Amino acid sequence: MSPLRIYPKKLFWRLYYLFLVISLILDFYWLYAHLFHYHFSFQYLPQFFAIFGLFGCMLLILIAKGMGIFIVVDQDYYQKLSR
Amino acid sequence: MAGWLHPGLVIGLGGLLIPFIPWQRVKQAYFLLLPVAGLAILLSTSMGVFGTIPAWPEALHKWNVGFLQFTLDIGRINKLSILFGYIYVIAAFCMNIFALGVKNDWEHVAAMIYVGSALGAIFAGDFFTLFFCLEIMSWAPFFLLLFRGTKRSMGAAFRYILWHHVSGLCILAGILLHWHQSGSIEFTHMPWGWEGKYLGSNLMLLGFVINAATTPFHSWLSDTYSEASPSGSVYMTAFTTKTAIFCLIITFSGVPLLMWMGAIQAVFALFMAVLENDGRRLCSYHIISQIGYMVAGVGMGTEMGLNGAASHALCHIIYNALLYMGAGCALAVVGTAKFDRLGGLYKYMPISFWLYMVGGFSISGFPLFNGFISKAMTIEAAEFIQRPIIYLLLEGATVGTFLHTGLKLPWNIWLQGRDEPPDDIRAKLNDSALNTPVHMLVGMGILAFLCILMGVYPKILYDMLPYPVEYVPFTLTRVFSITQMFIFTFLGFWLLRKLVRGYPSYVLDTDWIARITGMRFVQGCMDYLPAFGSFLDRQILRATNTVVAGIRNPVIEMKITPVAIGIGVLLSLILFSLYFVLRI
Repeated sequence: MSPLRIYPKKLFWRLYYLFLVISLILDFYWLYAHLFHYHFSFQYLPQFFAIFGLFGCMLLILIAKGMGIFIVVDQDYYQKLSR
Repeated sequence: MAGWLHPGLVIGLGGLLIPFIPWQRVKQAYFLLLPVAGLAILLSTSMGVFGTIPAWPEALHKWNVGFLQFTLDIGRINKLSILFGYIYVIAAFCMNIFALGVKNDWEHVAAMIYVGSALGAIFAGDFFTLFFCLEIMSWAPFFLLLFRGTKRSMGAAFRYILWHHVSGLCILAGILLHWHQSGSIEFTHMPWGWEGKYLGSNLMLLGFVINAATTPFHSWLSDTYSEASPSGSVYMTAFTTKTAIFCLIITFSGVPLLMWMGAIQAVFALFMAVLENDGRRLCSYHIISQIGYMVAGVGMGTEMGLNGAASHALCHIIYNALLYMGAGCALAVVGTAKFDRLGGLYKYMPISFWLYMVGGFSISGFPLFNGFISKAMTIEAAEFIQRPIIYLLLEGATVGTFLHTGLKLPWNIWLQGRDEPPDDIRAKLNDSALNTPVHMLVGMGILAFLCILMGVYPKILYDMLPYPVEYVPFTLTRVFSITQMFIFTFLGFWLLRKLVRGYPSYVLDTDWIARITGMRFVQGCMDYLPAFGSFLDRQILRATNTVVAGIRNPVIEMKITPVAIGIGVLLSLILFSLYFVLRI
């Protein structure tokens, strides 16, 4: 029998906040130290990828939820129709 | 020099013997040995035992067979077919381990024929051999779906085969038109354009696009893959769509339409995935989304784009099988993969969670996992050809992929912020952290190892690609930007996590039009055709009775006869005049 354990919540959150702060600081530092080599000008905006990740994710969820008003139906939608 | 043995035939025909082996252990060993035999043939082929494989796009030609007035090229071996061949047999080996517990031998037979025909398609050097193999490939999953035995899976099986008949007919019509125009059946790059003379190419393209589940023809995939048995669906994830990508690379690389279709598809599927309540349907939408990257890479047509498409197809087979196995574990152990019924499984199935997460990180494109080294190549190919919109669509799809497969699915199945699963699910679990069958974990473990190996040491993959690779994936720019993007994607998910909780529902897709039209047509036939039939029956009976009564009554007959003769003569005169005028 393998022992039962829940997932390591505290460790996860500590690591997450640490990486979040480090990434914000490093982005400013590396951007102004000209260490990044991008192909498009908009990628050089400070914190571009942080904003893209955060708002991209939230927009995706919110737009999909809006679409859901029209396309989410009952579980046995087709079964009911074919009866 | 020894003769080359086709790995597809070895696996496909070898699979037919499985039900006739009486000893269970021997049967299981034989089932595992089939892909190993295929791998041995491929290894010896790439080591040059049967001749040196020339640089892409040149090929070695083995097994030419006469058929009618054609010569079929059954064994065309080039760098791309060897690359796909390797991954097909390695994936098949891991899938066979995962499927060892399946009791129905015929499911194994269908799976091996499926793998064998997929290998047949990638080694085909002419369109007829390709078409033949694609047809077998469309029937094997049909049986994998039927063998699950539920009413829903049977419906899905019939819808699957209908879609693939449509694509098969398009491909066949395209092949015949192309042969009629050019006199060649060689499976090679096709000319493409919008003019009428390219009708054959366009029909063939349509067929491949349907097989590759490209939007708007993607719905067959999400509809059917989730209805097969846990192991059946794992096989289905790998072969049909990737073989279609292989065909697109060979025939339609550099078609700009594909680049746009691929980029739109990569994002569109993610919107559908947000609403999904079923773990395996969610993974299906991610197959569609990832195929978008490959199709876009093919459409770009540059060396980097094509390398990106080929390498992504390869990595995708590995991590997607792993994702399906992860969701399949929940289905196999507790009988459901629906989010509204799960959560809190971590305590009882932690190993499957972590192995799944390797797949989740890989598909998202985390550094040091295999998705990173292939996906970044396609995205950077879009940057190199200065296509900012394509770049933003593909990068946006990366965000969505991590949101769903890296966060939403594991959160809903294993976590949901609870330490225990719902009571009805808990009742099906032992008081152990090892609820998942060991053979399933072994299959997942090998795939997870491959995901990490390729991610850490991409040279293994890059050396096999058709074009020489000068791409360096681990640059500061790429590693940092993707890591930061994911850290903030997590933040977005955490803020809106209640919105991505599952609830009992079904998401309508583009197949709604076809399914509703079909349903209404059948319903209409059932409602109105019998009534129309009996109406027609009554009218014919009445007319016959009148004629019979007329014939029996000489008085009426005498009245009718002169009029009938007159009309007959008049009609003959009109016809004769027409004939005469037309002749002049």
